[in-house]
Amino acid sequence: MVSRLEIRLKKELMDAEGAGIRQKSREYFGFEVDAIRVIRVLTLDMELKPDQLEQIRNEIFTNPVTEESSYSPMATGFDWLIWIGFRPGVRDTAGSTAREAIEDLLGIESKQDQAVYTSKLYEIRGQLSEKQIKKIAGDLLANDIVQQWKVFSGYEWDKDKGIGFPVPKVILDHEPEVSTISIQSDEELGRISLERNLALQNRDIPVIRRYFLREDILKERKTVGLDLPTDVELEYISQARSDHCNHNTFRGLFRYHDLLTGNRETVDNLFKSCIEAPTLKIKEEKDWVTSVLWDNAGVGRFDDDHYYVITGETHNSPSNMEAYGGAITGIVGIYRDPMGTGKGSRLILGMYGYCVGHREYEGELTPHLHPRRLLDGVIEGVRDGGNKSGIPTPYGLLFFDESYVGKCLVFVTALGIMPATIGHASSHKKTTSPGELIIMAGGRVGKDGIHGVTAASETYSEHTPAGHVQIGDPYTQKKMHDFLIEARDEELITFITDNGGGGLSSSIGESARFSNGARVDLDRVPLKYEGLDQWEIWVSESQERMTIAVKPEHLDRFMALSAKHAVESTVIGEYNDSGYLQLDYKGKTCAYIRMDLLESDFPQWEFDAQWTPPDMRGLTEPVISEPEDHGPLLKAILSRPNICARNWIARQYDHEVQGSSVVKPLVGKGRDIPTDAAVVRPVLGSNRGIAVSQTLNPSYSEIDTYHMTGATIDEAVRKTLAVGGDPNHLGGLDNFCWPTIEYHPANNPDGKYKAAQLVRANWALRDYCLGYGIPLLSGKDSMYIDGNLEGPYGERRKISGPPTLMFTVSSVIEDINRCVTMDAKFPGDLVYVLGETRNECGASEYYQMMGAVGLNVPTVDVEALWPQYLALHGAIQAGLVSSCHAVSKGGLAVHSAMVAMGGELGMELLLPLIPGFSGLTVGQALYSESCGRFVITVAPGKKDVFEKIFSGMKIGRAGVVTESPRFSVKDGREKAIIDEDVNELKHVWKKPFGELI
Amino acid sequence: MSAPNTMKPKAIVLTGYGLNCDYETDYSLKLAGAESYRIHINEVISGEMGGRKISLEDYHILVFGGGFSWADDHGAGVLMASKLRQHLGKQIERFVRDGKLVLGICNGFQCLVNLGLIPAFDSQYRERNVALTYNDSGNFIDTWVNLKINPGSPCVFTQGLSTLELPVRHGEGKFYAAAEDIDRLFENGQVVLQYADENGQEAHGQWPLNPNGSLQDIAGICDPTGRIFGLMPHPEGFNHYTNHPDWTKKKEALTRQGEEIMPGEGEGIRILRNAVEYIRTAF
Repeated sequence: MVSRLEIRLKKELMDAEGAGIRQKSREYFGFEVDAIRVIRVLTLDMELKPDQLEQIRNEIFTNPVTEESSYSPMATGFDWLIWIGFRPGVRDTAGSTAREAIEDLLGIESKQDQAVYTSKLYEIRGQLSEKQIKKIAGDLLANDIVQQWKVFSGYEWDKDKGIGFPVPKVILDHEPEVSTISIQSDEELGRISLERNLALQNRDIPVIRRYFLREDILKERKTVGLDLPTDVELEYISQARSDHCNHNTFRGLFRYHDLLTGNRETVDNLFKSCIEAPTLKIKEEKDWVTSVLWDNAGVGRFDDDHYYVITGETHNSPSNMEAYGGAITGIVGIYRDPMGTGKGSRLILGMYGYCVGHREYEGELTPHLHPRRLLDGVIEGVRDGGNKSGIPTPYGLLFFDESYVGKCLVFVTALGIMPATIGHASSHKKTTSPGELIIMAGGRVGKDGIHGVTAASETYSEHTPAGHVQIGDPYTQKKMHDFLIEARDEELITFITDNGGGGLSSSIGESARFSNGARVDLDRVPLKYEGLDQWEIWVSESQERMTIAVKPEHLDRFMALSAKHAVESTVIGEYNDSGYLQLDYKGKTCAYIRMDLLESDFPQWEFDAQWTPPDMRGLTEPVISEPEDHGPLLKAILSRPNICARNWIARQYDHEVQGSSVVKPLVGKGRDIPTDAAVVRPVLGSNRGIAVSQTLNPSYSEIDTYHMTGATIDEAVRKTLAVGGDPNHLGGLDNFCWPTIEYHPANNPDGKYKAAQLVRANWALRDYCLGYGIPLLSGKDSMYIDGNLEGPYGERRKISGPPTLMFTVSSVIEDINRCVTMDAKFPGDLVYVLGETRNECGASEYYQMMGAVGLNVPTVDVEALWPQYLALHGAIQAGLVSSCHAVSKGGLAVHSAMVAMGGELGMELLLPLIPGFSGLTVGQALYSESCGRFVITVAPGKKDVFEKIFSGMKIGRAGVVTESPRFSVKDGREKAIIDEDVNELKHVWKKPFGELI
Repeated sequence: MSAPNTMKPKAIVLTGYGLNCDYETDYSLKLAGAESYRIHINEVISGEMGGRKISLEDYHILVFGGGFSWADDHGAGVLMASKLRQHLGKQIERFVRDGKLVLGICNGFQCLVNLGLIPAFDSQYRERNVALTYNDSGNFIDTWVNLKINPGSPCVFTQGLSTLELPVRHGEGKFYAAAEDIDRLFENGQVVLQYADENGQEAHGQWPLNPNGSLQDIAGICDPTGRIFGLMPHPEGFNHYTNHPDWTKKKEALTRQGEEIMPGEGEGIRILRNAVEYIRTAF
């Protein structure tokens, strides 16, 4: 029997959710809705007696103070009613917790196919047409990919029948079967690969065929009853060889050709030459670098007793399809990486970065989701994923660019901490050994996420399978996290890794390399519903799962802990040293692959890379005369989307949970100016902290990705140093997002140029990491940030995102008591500008505002800057610095104004006193985005000691902090060129997104 | 003069099922002088922890901390209250009768009101009379608030305090009750904390001083005995002076006066220290 419980807030209570939707309807579509109220619906597909139904209604689901509820339809007096529920198979956490609570209260256990489903009703009052209501339903409330919806008008409403009894149960009615695949020719296998969406690489196909046709292999396969390759096997190989898992692009061969100099160069393997080699070299020099380049995340030393763990990735394609689901899955997914690093770490911090089209996009192309809706969804996804995980989210970025309408970027970054030793062994080391059990813990396996990895390695088009979009479940994962930390501390875990891209295929495939073999019973894998084929079980990317190796003698204790934490754990196989990965289903082998197949010589990917230097591309400096009204100009720049306040995001993220907050995302007197870096104190009671910052400057890519990369790294370094980070402990994280670089005359005619951009960015990565001594603790690349969008005439246009590098810097701070923030503290303090300002306005905010790109992109001279950074660190450690802020996008005018705005104090600046002023125009001095610069304020009494530290360096005492809140800049003449009220500047800066909460 | 009382009250911080402020709450209780343990809800229910018997009877302070118990999808703290009422209801009531202390922070506060442990008018410890519902803004908020503390309240946790700054971090913190019940709370001195401005004057609903639209700016209440206390702000979120948003400026100001800031504990600890002192006196 199915029952339907409806619950609503009492009439006298404000319905905040409804009010929010009403506001969005106005903001998104211009619809005037009188009122919206929400009814929560639980469809109970369980055997419950009438008294039991009443009991759960009263004792669990209805708050007598605020709510009323009924098993009959409650909607009344509306003009329109929208019902929204999940599609079958979509994760419904609230449904499963409801079922758990019902079972607990009534002391019953329901059958596996019984369930509770949640959905919502929106009662709408107002003069709207059916078309408008459908727009609200389809374009604001529901996402067709994961949800279904219906609209009822007040006229046709049957108040007795209501919405009926929606039960989105998955019924597959399918007998799982293994199929074999013919490999008679390369062409045939290629065709089958396309048909089955296997996404095998054409160049891999001959290698795969060769393997399965080998005499010895055929003979061995016969012993387990196999002949032709099975779909399970080919899916496994496809996953392992995908660009997402194998980084074929970064490991590729690039034929680089500089069209100006005629110089030709072969670059073999960007990963090895530009990431691995420098990192290993730096690891030799810096003993804090503990474990890099092999595990789910990098490991650095925090103190004698702890390591910290860091990694980051993107979740672009899924977020582009379903913003909320994609983003929450992204943040919850990245949190599994530190959990699966070493023997497992406890999560301590998360960060985010969003690159999207303009919120007010009104172009003629039709993105899958409008950037405004997409951004709202992404922000909410990371909010729920982070907050419900109990992990602070104290830092993040938001960057707008028209070309991200093709595909948005969603960066997620995670840090964890672990004791340096578990028992007597180092926590960062792990291995699997023959005889150890393979355990899958956490969620169950369903059809969700199948072919996610291969979809992420493809350009988005109307044919992209939507099935790879999921909704992450932080609740299930949090329980698992707590469980695994306890199991780790009891020394029950010998190996742990997460199930992310590729699912079991990847987690077991990779962990079995250590023992050199494994056997798995696919029929023991717990499923969400029956009817999955064997290959689907093997590659499904259902979330919230870890794979753990446990010694048989520890199994009982491991399972007892799992039960205590209400986490499902299942033994699904064991590691061995057979040299084979063997998958069985109900006693019958369906895959039998040599462990060394994936190490065999698959052909390297190859790319032509053609570099056209910027001047050859026709870029020049623009012709702009000196602006006469610098005050209004500053205000205009402050209100530009990539400069203005976006505080509404930081405020909805819990950035203080765990009690470790030292420097928050928003600082200053009004607690409203973004910090340079966040600082946390992950080991309570210790004075040590970790500072983290992130940067991205994709605009510079338009001139030269080499300098884009240099400027991005330098900015992240400076931001970390500005709060007190240690220049001798700078950990790096590179997240590349690049448009497709494979040349195709019709589909990607500028592929060679984009490939050259990638090579140059990697060269810069190598050079600046070596220069600053930054090991790349972790990193990921996400190619294919292109989209083919529908235009107004039935055409599709390809939009490629700009080459984007997000760079993260982490630093361990020895004494958090010495941290500084960027806000001016007291009137009378001296204002110093450290670092030279140069004629480098290329691709700056200033030029962008003037409609120009320019040529003079900021460049970084490490040798000149490094001594200044060391001196700054010394000054901060000596307590001489009252505030410190790195100058970045928008230049000196914007960032010195931010220092004043932070303190809600005035500032007087004399431009001729800044290093490098002679030879610059005033516009250049104010808005150049030269690297290496800081604005520093210092108490007058500390002037001499401070200046001594920097003697001979590029520093200028250029001004003073004032009581009167005027931001005033002079160019050497008597009359100020800027003289603005700081409160007014702040107002202008906050206004663009000021209404958002 | 008598020797200082160094008895260490024993505290439980509940863990599991999506609760998440357990480490810092445990740390803060220890700073305050308690012997604190993080214990999983299922261990308290089963009475067994790692092969050892445990019982609420052996503890003095029971803390329901922050987090998202059971994901909060059916109303914050609702399913946790249902679970605990079912399995620990009698034990908790006995714990209270024995004169011990219960503290609910954020999600814990939401759980306490759903259990009916507060406000417990007429000592009815199972009735739900107040609620914490969705913030008027419709969204989660993380911000620091100023709190006005009721000197006339029997709450043992706030004795000697008049104002306090703490962080709030919640999506469902709007305190709501029928008008007559709110009057009753004030009459009984059960309103312990109210959102206030910088000068300690009530916020009068003004956002973001009152971050969620709580009626009468109510941020925390206690039972008639003052031994059960629930609040939305996080005392454990201010365990160190560097947690405070203005600490870098305060430190700089002190330095200029030739004073050094003592790397000291945050003011949130005072609430927990009061609890520890109370137990030392009472037991």
